[in-house]
Formats: sequence, C-alpha cells, structure tokens
Amino acid sequence: MSGQVIERQPITIVVDAMGGDQAPEEVVKAACALSLEQPVGEKSNPVKSSGDKPSTEKSTRERSDGSEPLHLLLVGDAPRLHELLMKQRYDAERLAIHHASQVITMDESPREALLQKPDSSIAVAARLCAEGRASALVSAGNTGAAVLSCLQYWRRLPGIRRCALAAVYPTEVRRGEKDDPFSLILDVGATLDVTADDLVSFAVMGSAYASRISKNPRPKVALLSNGAEAGKGPKEVVVAHARLKELRGIQFIGNVEGVDIPRGVADVVVCSGFVGNVVLKMLEGVSETVVRLAHYAYKEKLMWRAGLAMLSGGIGKLKDLTDWKQYGGAPLLGFDHLLIKAHGRSQAQAIQNAIKVAKKGVSSGLLPDIERGLREAGNLTVPSGEQT
Amino acid sequence: MDKSAKSSPSQPEPSIPNVIYRWDLDKTYLRTDFDTFMSLLKTAFEDAGDKRTVPGAATLLRELRQSGGGRARICFISGSPRQMRKVLTEKLRLDGIEFDEFVLKPNLRNMLTGRFRALREQVGYKLPALLAGRAGVTAETREVCFGDDAESDALIYSLYGDLLAGRIERSLLEQILRSAGTYEDDAARTVSIFESLPHSEAVERIFIHLDRKSPPGKFDRYGGRLVPIYNYFQAALVLFQDGRLEAAAVVRVAVEMVDRHAYSVEALRNSLQDLLRRRRVSLETVNSLGRTIADGAGERDMLPALGSLPGTRDLLRSLARGLRDLGPMSEQELGPRPIDTPIDYLAALADLPRRHKQK
Repeated sequence: MSGQVIERQPITIVVDAMGGDQAPEEVVKAACALSLEQPVGEKSNPVKSSGDKPSTEKSTRERSDGSEPLHLLLVGDAPRLHELLMKQRYDAERLAIHHASQVITMDESPREALLQKPDSSIAVAARLCAEGRASALVSAGNTGAAVLSCLQYWRRLPGIRRCALAAVYPTEVRRGEKDDPFSLILDVGATLDVTADDLVSFAVMGSAYASRISKNPRPKVALLSNGAEAGKGPKEVVVAHARLKELRGIQFIGNVEGVDIPRGVADVVVCSGFVGNVVLKMLEGVSETVVRLAHYAYKEKLMWRAGLAMLSGGIGKLKDLTDWKQYGGAPLLGFDHLLIKAHGRSQAQAIQNAIKVAKKGVSSGLLPDIERGLREAGNLTVPSGEQT
Repeated sequence: MDKSAKSSPSQPEPSIPNVIYRWDLDKTYLRTDFDTFMSLLKTAFEDAGDKRTVPGAATLLRELRQSGGGRARICFISGSPRQMRKVLTEKLRLDGIEFDEFVLKPNLRNMLTGRFRALREQVGYKLPALLAGRAGVTAETREVCFGDDAESDALIYSLYGDLLAGRIERSLLEQILRSAGTYEDDAARTVSIFESLPHSEAVERIFIHLDRKSPPGKFDRYGGRLVPIYNYFQAALVLFQDGRLEAAAVVRVAVEMVDRHAYSVEALRNSLQDLLRRRRVSLETVNSLGRTIADGAGERDMLPALGSLPGTRDLLRSLARGLRDLGPMSEQELGPRPIDTPIDYLAALADLPRRHKQK
C-alpha cells in the first residue's frame, strides 16, 4: 500500500427537493447539473500510473480555496427522486437522497403544517443539517415553514436574539472584487418587530455576508430611515444608529432613505422585516412594470419597436441584472447553519445559483465571521425569545 | 485478429479458466480523451507513464486476477490501433497488471484496404473477437465484461451474452450485423464462429463505466445483467455480491481510490447508496460488508493486507461507519428492480449515436 491516506472533506448542502412550484423536477435537474461541475481548482487529472508506487502527483480532488467537492443531499420522496435521477446525467459520487414522506405546499400555514407533517422534506432537511449531515440548506419551498424548521432544529449564534432573511437587489454601483452590482437588504421578512439590538446584529451579519459572498472587504452599512440625520426614524433605529456609530469592525455610513436604495449608496441596508419586505416587493414590482412597459411600447408604434430592437442588447443585459434567477436566493442569517431560501418559482438555474451561494457561504467561513463580528459588537447577548 | 498471450514469463500457463474478465481499455481502464482531434493526437503519442488509469481499476484488476483460485483469465479487447500495443502493454506493466490476451483493432489494414467504415464501426470488430475468445474454454467458463458508455459496449457485450446463451437466431444476428454496417466478410466470419460454439449462459455480468455520465436509465433495456457504474468501487461491490470478490478486496479498491485519487468516504458512501437505490446491490450485501469491515476480526484480517497504516485504519473505520450511516433505508425507498426482457437489438442499434451505425 502506498502513502498516507488523506481524506478530502467535501461540502455537503442539503436540498429540500420537494419545495417550490417546480419541485421536484427542477430541483433534481439543478442538483444533477451541479454534481457534474468541477469545483474551481479541482483537477481532472488523477495519477498517471498506479501500480504499487506512491504517487507524488496532485489528486483530482485536492482542496484549495473554494475547490472543495460539492456534495448534495436531496430530501424528499425517494422513489420519485430516484425516477427523475435515472433520466438525467449526474455524478452519483456527489449526490445522495434522503427519504421524507411528506411535503409542505406553498399555500399551507407554516406552523400548522409543521405540526401535522413532522416528516416533511423541509423539516427533515433542517434536522439533517443539525445532525451534521450537511453544512447548509437550500429550499425553494414555503418560506415560513423553512424559517420555522430552522428555528426548530438549529441553534441561534451567540448574541443573536432574532434571525434575519436577507435579499440582494441590483443597483447602479459596482462593488467588490467581482464588480458586483448587488446590494444586500435585511431583514426582509423573518422578524417583523425589531429592537435596536436586533438591528445592530443584522448590521454585523449583513456586513459579514457582503464581505464573504460579494468579496467586498469593507462593505458600507446603513440603516434605512426617513432621513439621513441620526435622530430620524423610530426609537429602535435611533438607538441602533448610536450603537453602530461606535462599533468598530463594520463600516457604518449612517442612515439612508428609500431613494438611496437603488442608487447603491450602501452595500448593506438594515431594516425591520416588515419594512424590508415592503421595499423588496416594491423593487420587484418596479422591475416587472418596466418590462411590461417595454412590451407595450414594442406593440404600440413601429418607430418605438425599431428603437427597442436597437437597444435589445442593452435591455437584455439590464434584464439579466434585475433577474432574480441570476443571484440564487435569500440567506437566513443568525443560525449555526446557513439557509438559502430560493424563490418559490425557481427553475433549475436559480436553484443552482442558490446552491452555489450556500457552498460559497460555507467555504468562505461566513458563520465564523459573523460570530467574530458579534463578539466584537459585544454585550449583545439577550435571552432567547420567540422568533417572529 | 492480433493476440498476444502471457504478459509475464514467470506466470504459469493458465489451465482452462473458470472465469474470464474481459476489459475494454479506453474510457474503461484508461482515462482517455479522444473527443477532439487534438486530444486524439495527444492520446496517440503519449508515453505509457503519461497515460492515466481510471480510479480503482488497477487494484480491481489485480484483485480479479488473484481471485478464482488462479483460474481467472484477464483479456483486453480495445478499439485502439495495433500500433499502440507497445505503449499500452507497457502501461499495464507499470500498473502491475498481468493479462492473458490483448486484442487490438487492425486500423492500419482497414485504412490501406479502403475499409473506412470499419475504422469507426465496433460491432463487426468486437463481436467476432469476443466469440473467437471462447475457443479453448469450456461451456462452464463464466465471463464478466467491462466497457464504457462512449460507444456501443453495452450492446456488443449483451449481444455476445445472448448469442452464447442461444437466445439469438442466426437470421436475427445477420440482420443486426447488416444494421450495424459490418462488412460482409466480417459478418460471415461472425456467424460462422457463432455457429461453432456451444450454448451456455456464460456472460454473467456486464459493467458499463459511465465515463460520459450517461443517464443510467438509458441502459434499462439491457436488464439486470448489465450494471452501469460510476466508479470501480461500485463494480467491486457488485462482484462481492456475486461472490467473485472477498470483502477485503472491495476495501482494497476503496483504499486505492481514497489513497491515490483523493476520494472521500462520502463519495464512496454516495456511490454505494446509488447502487442500493438502483437495486444493483441488496441491503443484506451492504450490511454484510459493513459487519465484516466493522468487526474486530475484519479489521484484524484486513489491516495486514492493507499495509496497516494509521490512515488506512481510519479509512476502514470511516467506511464501516459510512455503511452503517446509510440506514435506515427501507424497501419502499428504493427504485424499481431491473426488468429482464428480451433485448430489441435492432432498436438499440437505431438509438446509438450515428457514428456507430451504418451510414
């Protein structure tokens, strides 16, 4: 036998295969496609000659930054998932199935559904993460059920009272190593009523996420308010402002107003779940309205049609930029594992992107970074309360 | 046919074999890339030391050679040209592989005689070569065939097995050969060899290495005898279930894959679950293997053979743990059992990529 056995640790992401309008077909397609992708830095060049001689050549699966093999654990109706797999090209070495006999649909009440369906795919997926079978969870299913499942099985990070769902949105400004046009807004719906402590912890988590995922080393963090002045806004925003100003480790730029959101004045916008959800839906609505207006103009006049045809390349790029399918999903931050919540209408491409974001979150050390940030924020620990 | 026997002079002349392991080379044993002209050129001119082995294949071959009480025969049959004999046999020598037969394609002769269709066509080359390989063995000699999903190995090996078993009439064979674009003289020779052979259920297992990651369901038409595999750990597991390999041999294949090709235990476990779901190994087989590895006796027995390195011991324990962690899997969570129905070879030929059919 040759040299020392070195076991390469893959990153396993558990996927709620039954969650979403297009599940399980599109989820399986996404998982199959990803199982065939080689991580960056991974070589397709195994040993030249085996025999009994030790090999000095680097292996196919040698780890480098972000190059850990991605393994996927699909949770759902095993026979159905198996049937779909048999028709796809996939790599069985990187894909496994865990059976869950129940499904929570998009229109079910999350709390009741979870009580009635303990073997639902989302609950089982969250449990598998908690048991250490996977590092992160991706779901395109019922958002409430996903958040409650995480709450049921996962632990909140020290210093976190409430968790935050974050979303990215396109802006005019490019940022970070990758010229990323996206800013982050949190919370967008996990916690409706927030305290100043919550807003501070959201700021720390959002900053860590932007720094790790968008590779923006010093993201600009702002509180969303009705004025730039420190005293503007509800009490919790005013108090959070004062605390964030004193906080080292994040680049707090003060308050921003609604108009600053699409301008990209801040890389991370912090607000309550209620406000964030309204903002996010409005941004989506504006984007869809612009597309509908363009369709209207296209049909209305030949001149406009010609003009639009000439601009079609630019419009296509703009559409790509504002297309939620391109950027995966919304991370749920504050737990000891990462949930990426993909859009309910997600097709394979969007789910693939959500899984890639989950892997990036794990491989980049996002959660340890958040923990460090929270420690620096100091004295944030409050007794665990009920999650909204 | 160009054959050379006996790779090693020290090896005793084999008596009549009880089992023959027939291996394709490119994309089955060797990681060959000839999908583009440049890669084809590179493959043609690379040294033996530069050729890469599919993870686990070398150890599996050595284990198969050792099995069967010294009466196992290893035969290679490849579509590579005869001019590559030297470099290919050197590669096998470097890997420590002993073989009994090495058949290569007469591509230069095909070119010089204007038989250009034969350069690509595989049925008219491999089928008579396989049938001719039955000369000198008894009807009881069993065969296990290894191929890949790049060309028509699944069809050829299945057809070979059905011909030996007497499930195919002469008229159908002639029709199949015509459909495959086989030259008339090759077809006549194939039919003639076929008619000279006694009938027996000789081909007990066919492995198709999914080098191109073809959907496994694509091979359902070939029934339960043919097992599409993603790696040679999967082949070793099926051979363990078939009684062709010992548990220790399966572990040695796994160790090679982890040790030399940096496979993780998770990748091996996923491979095992894939076979279970496809019902190509049974839960009892997995449990039995897990018990053998996990038991103190298993470790005691296997470690000396594995070299007793600390890393190997850890791997062994992780593998045993991995096998146990697979559960609980119940029957209803598994996929359907493979169905054995008569294979429609003409339809299978029609579904092959165009280059493998008559133009």
